[in-house]
This record gives sequence, C-alpha cells and structure tokens, in this order.
Amino acid sequence: MNERVAVVGYKQTKHTFDSPVARERMIYELVKSLFKDLGITRDDIDTFIFASNDFTDGRTISEVYTVPRIGSFMKDETKVEADGLSAALYAYMRILSGLYETALVIGFSMAGSEFRVPLTQAYSLDPVYERPRGIINYYSTSALQASAYMKKYKFTEEDLARLTVKNLQNANNNPYAARKEPTASVEDVLNSKPLYLPIRQAHVSAYADGACAVILSSKKAAKKFTDKPVWIDGVGHFMDTYYIGDRDLLAMEHLSAAAKKAYKMAGIKNPKKEIDLAELHTNFASEEPVFAEAMGLFKPGSGKDVVKNGESGIDGAMPVNPSGGPIGANPINATGLIRLAEASEQLRKEAGKNKVKGAKTAVVHAQDGPGAQLNTVFVVRR
Amino acid sequence: MPGHIVRATVPITFAYKNRVGHALEQYINGLKEKKILGVKCPACKKVYVPPRTVCSKCHKPIDQMVEVGQEGVLKNFTTAHVNIVNGEITGVQQPYIIGLIKLPGASSLISGIIKTPSVHDVKTGMKVKAVWKETTQGDYNDLAYFEPA
Repeated sequence: MNERVAVVGYKQTKHTFDSPVARERMIYELVKSLFKDLGITRDDIDTFIFASNDFTDGRTISEVYTVPRIGSFMKDETKVEADGLSAALYAYMRILSGLYETALVIGFSMAGSEFRVPLTQAYSLDPVYERPRGIINYYSTSALQASAYMKKYKFTEEDLARLTVKNLQNANNNPYAARKEPTASVEDVLNSKPLYLPIRQAHVSAYADGACAVILSSKKAAKKFTDKPVWIDGVGHFMDTYYIGDRDLLAMEHLSAAAKKAYKMAGIKNPKKEIDLAELHTNFASEEPVFAEAMGLFKPGSGKDVVKNGESGIDGAMPVNPSGGPIGANPINATGLIRLAEASEQLRKEAGKNKVKGAKTAVVHAQDGPGAQLNTVFVVRR
Repeated sequence: MPGHIVRATVPITFAYKNRVGHALEQYINGLKEKKILGVKCPACKKVYVPPRTVCSKCHKPIDQMVEVGQEGVLKNFTTAHVNIVNGEITGVQQPYIIGLIKLPGASSLISGIIKTPSVHDVKTGMKVKAVWKETTQGDYNDLAYFEPA
C-alpha cells in the first residue's frame, strides 16, 4: 500500500481550433516532450490511463491506435470514457493500491476541428426519452441552471458578462489557451448571439483541439521525477441522475458532496480560508458561481458581489480559473486534467502572468454529462 | 510538415431500435389516452415523471403507476433562439420557451415547450396546462406543449 500520491510531471499542448497535426502525433509529441523534461523514458511508467471517448475519436476501442504514441505498448494500459480528471482518479487509486508506483494520464480530443461537439454530447443523452424529444441538451440544461441562479440571486446578464470577460482576460494571458479575445468587453458579451437565454455564444467554452498529460507517482518514487511534488490530499467523485427534472440544478448536491469528501480527506475544515485557488471545469461561464458556491468557496448567492468586488480574480481572495478555464480552451476529455496541471503549475510557482501569489492549496474540479451530472474534485497541496 | 491538411470524412451511422422499457411504455400508452403517468416509490413516496423502474435514492424497484395532474406551475425556463439537430446549432425564426414544470402529484419536474403569444409573457411561477394533439398516436409528441392556464 502506498500512502501518498503526487503529481510529479505535467504538460499540455498549445490548444487550437485547427490543429496542424493529427491526434496521434499531437499526443506523441506531448508525451515525448514531457519525458524529456523529466529525463525519463516509458520504462519509468508502470501504468498508462487514457481519457478519451469513442465518439470524439470516431472509432471504437480508440486507444488501439493511440497506445504506440504514448509509450504504453506491451505495458499496463487502460482507458476511461470520461474527463481526464476521472482518469487521474483511477491512476491515483492504482498507485494507492501499491501495485504501481507511477502512472501516466493523458486526455485529448480534436473538439475544435474534427466533429460537432453537440452531436457527441447528444449521444450521451438518455436515448429513449431525452433524445427523441429533442429539447433537453447540454446547452438548454445549463441555460436552465443559469436561469435558476440568476433569478434566485438577482445575478444579472451584465454580471455574467463581467464574469466572462474576467475569464477571457485570464485566458489571454495563458499561453496554452485557444481563444484569444483581448479586447472583448462586457458589451460584446451582452451583444453576442443568443443561444438558450440567458446563455449566449460568448459564454460557451472554447471547444478546441488539444491534449494534457500528467504523471502521478507514489511518495517513494516521486524523487526520481521532481523535487517539487504536488500532493493529492483529497478526492471526491459523485454522480447525479440523468433526469434533469429530478435534479436540484442550483444546490448541486452531488458536487457539494464530492467537494466535502475531498475536503474531509485533506483535513480542510474551512475551504474559504484554507484553499488558495480553484480551477473549475465550466462548459459555460454561468456555471462558475453555481459550482464555486456548491463547493463551499463562496457564500450561496454571493456571485454578484464576487464579480463586483473581483474576489474571484487573480488578486482576489479566492481566484477562480486564473488560467481562464475552459472559456480559453476546452479540449474535451483533457479539460479537467488541464485544471490539475494548471493548479500544479500555480502551486509550484511556475505560472507565468497569471501567477496567484503564495498559493499552497488548490481545489480542482472536472465534470461530465449535461449540466455537470458527474463531478470530480481533487484537493492538491505543495 | 505536409503542405496542406488532408481530411478523411468518417461516416458513422447507427440506427438502434432500443426498447424504451416497461415504465416508459406505460407512460407512452398513457399519453395516447391523454394522461400523464408517473411512478411512486414505495419507500420515499416520491412520484417521478417520467416513470422509471428503480428509485435512485432508495435503490428499490418501483412499479406503482400513478396519474399526475395536467395543470401545474412553471418553475424555470430558458428562451431558445436556436435548435440543436444532428449536432448542428441553427437559429430559429421564432424564439420559443423550454420550461420545467411542477405538476400536482409529481415530485420531479417535467420538461416541455411553453407556448404563449409572446415569449416575453412567460414568467416563473405562472400556471400552465398540458395541451394535447387532437389525435394522439402513442408517442412523446402527443403531449404537444404547455400553455398558460
């Protein structure tokens, strides 16, 4: 049995809307470059876990084509059909078991150029009720959630636009982000194309081509990789029902439960005080206050004040998505894993322009399913 | 580096004939008779619409069908300016309302289209009632939409 697991290496691609290379080459170059940074080879990795999806790859058992690229040929390898943070959770548990000392986790997709994201999303909806009815989808579900939040807490369209601009500005300073809109104003967001109101085009995350690789290791093996391990001290992973009408879209009890479990494991009693920054997997800008509040990072309903006072900004009391979050790049399957890489970079004081000063503890979140049906939460420390 | 990018079109076409299952079959049969059916969990007494065969919370089988009311309260809505069909997001001529409705006797909310003369007339908390197709056929569209009650 291993007692503690660390992030010992991470790397992401520069995400784009039209990758100049195919996915196989993209992940090969990413993994080789990460190995080179760390001075290791594939022989130093005990188990390999993909986060991918047969629908986003356009073929079943899609890793048969990607195994050679990440170095898992004739090695222990598996795939998770979910976001990369779920894959990291598997890797974490494998290492805890003591059967493995090191794991490579990789998430990727070509969501910017190769397929229609809403189509792959539609394939995850209930095939015998929601799909034939055609009104509930990822967009309309999140719009209903946003609408509930905005009405209950008097969070205006302008507040939502400000929040979006905050993330766009962070993304603009993130060298990996695909979406660069340095001049985007609150007015631009307010005037962007209405989709399912209150959700407009500008609120939608930047579905992009990209990948992220993270190496986890036991405490024992960590020294071989780095003298700056980032410890995974708490995890939580909960799923809600797929019936939208059954769910409390505002309270998000499953996310709240996942966060509480992770905090308890990490010995965190007051997340507002003890956590220094949050990286959240938001598919729409409107999800940020809902998720952050369900995770106990802000008082319920405080989204309006948080935006106004800049509390979630890089210099605020609780920076949320200093990377810009998925508003800057959402390469499906990699998006939650990128949150882990971004948080690790912050804790190792390696972040560039978006550096959060003095950050020692971070919370990382990932989601899957319409309206964040599945949530994964990690607490990481340096 | 190649001079230009070559893409292969990768067609995937599947048509499944999924059985909707025991609970939804009764729901759809109910629609044909202009009834909205749910199921009542024997343990927590919650009534779920649409019906399903297991209560997620209690992990108990549910087989007690109950009819719920057709005039309820609009709890939440979004104004759709687009449709998503086959993964394509396309603008619509007339924006429309997708709502979540609390029907009397149901614990869960039901989603549906809300029709009013103008989308601006729609307010959370307003009373709405089910409108049926004149001739029902035993499919989801039998329950055509909801309108102000």
